[in-house]
Amino acid sequence: MASVSIPIEKPGTWGKVAEWLTTVDHKRIGIMYLASSFFFFLLSGIFALVIRLQLAAPGLKIVDQNVYNELFTMHGTGMIFLFVIPFLVGLGNYIVPLQLGARDMAFPRINALSFWMLLFAGLVMEGGFLIGGTASNAAWTAYVPLSTKQFSPQVGMDIWLFGIVLLGISSTLGGVNFLVTIYTMRAPGMTLWRIPFFTWSIIVTAAMILLATPVLTAALIMLISDRNFNTQFFTTANPRLWQNMFWFYSHPAVYIMILPAMGVLSEVIPVFSRKPLFGWKAMVISTILIGVLGFSTWVHHMFVTGVDPMVERFFMFTTMVIAVPTGVKMFSWIATMWKGSVSLKTPLLMCLGFLSTFVIGGISGVIQGAIPIDMQVHNTYWVVAHFHYVLFGGSVFGIFAGLYYWLPKITGRMLNDKLGKVQFVIMWIGFNTTFFPMHILGLEGMPRRIATYAADRGWDIPNLIATIGAFMIAASVLVFMINYVVSIIARKGEVAGDDPWEGNTLEWATSSPPPVYNFAHIPVVTSNRPVYDKRVAAQVKPEG
Amino acid sequence: MSAFTSPQSGSIRQPLPAARRKRPDRGLLGAIAFIASESMFFSGLFVAYFFLRTDTSLTIRSDQPLHPSIALPLFNTLILTVSVVAMAWAERGIAKNRQRNLIIGTTIAAALGLIFMLLQSVEFSRFITAGFTPNSSAFGSTFFALLIFHVLRVFAGVTFMVIVLIRALMGQFTQNRRSAVQACAAYWYFIFIVWLLVFAVLYGM
Repeated sequence: MASVSIPIEKPGTWGKVAEWLTTVDHKRIGIMYLASSFFFFLLSGIFALVIRLQLAAPGLKIVDQNVYNELFTMHGTGMIFLFVIPFLVGLGNYIVPLQLGARDMAFPRINALSFWMLLFAGLVMEGGFLIGGTASNAAWTAYVPLSTKQFSPQVGMDIWLFGIVLLGISSTLGGVNFLVTIYTMRAPGMTLWRIPFFTWSIIVTAAMILLATPVLTAALIMLISDRNFNTQFFTTANPRLWQNMFWFYSHPAVYIMILPAMGVLSEVIPVFSRKPLFGWKAMVISTILIGVLGFSTWVHHMFVTGVDPMVERFFMFTTMVIAVPTGVKMFSWIATMWKGSVSLKTPLLMCLGFLSTFVIGGISGVIQGAIPIDMQVHNTYWVVAHFHYVLFGGSVFGIFAGLYYWLPKITGRMLNDKLGKVQFVIMWIGFNTTFFPMHILGLEGMPRRIATYAADRGWDIPNLIATIGAFMIAASVLVFMINYVVSIIARKGEVAGDDPWEGNTLEWATSSPPPVYNFAHIPVVTSNRPVYDKRVAAQVKPEG
Repeated sequence: MSAFTSPQSGSIRQPLPAARRKRPDRGLLGAIAFIASESMFFSGLFVAYFFLRTDTSLTIRSDQPLHPSIALPLFNTLILTVSVVAMAWAERGIAKNRQRNLIIGTTIAAALGLIFMLLQSVEFSRFITAGFTPNSSAFGSTFFALLIFHVLRVFAGVTFMVIVLIRALMGQFTQNRRSAVQACAAYWYFIFIVWLLVFAVLYGM
């Protein structure tokens, strides 16, 4: 065999930049997803801090009330559209092909297109602050007529809407890509029931993105055209048209944001309990059920808008039913840890953070799903408390669990576990300090989206506590960033090796970070824990 | 010996413990997933249409063509039907490796698609000269939204067919390598089905 040596030119700085700009490698695209959505996380987090400062005491004037409206709008849309969804998609981008034993996504160039559209869509959405000076300020729901030209004349509103249209196209393309990748590129032997759980949750998420996003896109285009081309979709009509189309996307979006985080938990908890995931099939089926039922609950956001009472009752029922598959998951995770040899490393702690806070958010969701209670708490801080318990207590703890679990694979270095624990403790206490008092504020009648309040309402102490908590959350994120800089950028962290956690799934069967081609030889899979199988086989019969 | 044939790569092609079925083509699957997403886009537009039509708070002015003349769109339906048959004939043709069928069929289908777009623009100008525009009422907005978004898809479909045609003329498709043709045909069938719904709802109801 003749060997030919090909001279490889090492790229210079600009060469490296060009490599990243033109890459179609799912790992690099995944990293760019993670980095850019972390940037939007910090930006939207700063908005949240300003909001909390403004509300720390009654009658404060730290920001103008119009600026306040921009801040909570951009905080919400930034966190939802530019952080939680793309961050989890980015994690999926990196991990899914590895878990499948594939060398890349099915459509690598479309994958790059999705990322770049996401990044520029995000910049366009935030661009309202620079162009015309006023960003969107009609809340993330952008209800008509508030979002029409008459009440929101700024160009920032138009480019915000346009940015979300771009985001919709980006995530639709991503959804197509994930589904085709998972369907066609599984390693030999990987039947449907052997698909790793995180990948399963991405399947359901991608299907939901594919079916829900276009309805929002249609509504956004209609609104843009009302604002700019004088069409009459929303001007004379019943405002519920927008609400229905918006929530038809935005309620499934809640599950788009939580299912991949649940997938992270279903990977991390078995590994750190040294047990297989309890009730594998029940878990997969409950994920699919959440996906299906997620499309049938959207009207519960509109109980006070005069929907037919029979229709309301149907949606109250579906809202409560969706708690059943979610409950199945909670019990499965707890049963997985039950009598396992649990090691309390940071990834598992973050999962426990998820379990302990998400369950409160889930239960408060069922409570406010009851129509009479919803009528009382609608548009109060109770709702703010509820969805932060679900989206921060759920998705963000899940995201950090995933980061601590997979960053060693992505970077090749371990994050510092002590700093991780410090971060967890500050974040968990800070989170509950911020959002638990909001339940009380809501029941005491404090409305959402108000820039300030009078001193005689008795809302000042819970608000002050919440503000203190918000800064604790910021401190915990700072601890994470310090951990990242010290352990990974300054290379002080331990070298991870291929499989630092003794994992179960195929991403642990390659080096950390994996080579461009992921696997030199495509592995053959005989169960849903291929790496575990290999490890056990090696222990029983040492390689000769 | 090329660097890509390692000793193990032979074994990958062996029958494996779990039966490995031949999976459908990626391009075609991607097109089907995309079509599913497109169908939800049109569902959104149809929902808006019915919502605004059944809304009792809206009064639809009597001079608006709730039941406009059906002759031109009916003729257009015929044109799109022939176009779809031509595309199906082309797609079946390349499945049997008949290059001529592919080229002739795609040409006919694309040409008829262009004629459809032309006649739609005639229809639009007829409405607008009659004073019925996207700006005249909520009803007008949804009516035109369905027509305009459909004709945009026709434009996309014709573009796709032109690309397929160019690639066919370069001889890039064979019996075993025709996923772009299949994807194009699937998208064209979808556009046809949407047209039937748009036609039935806008002109028939």
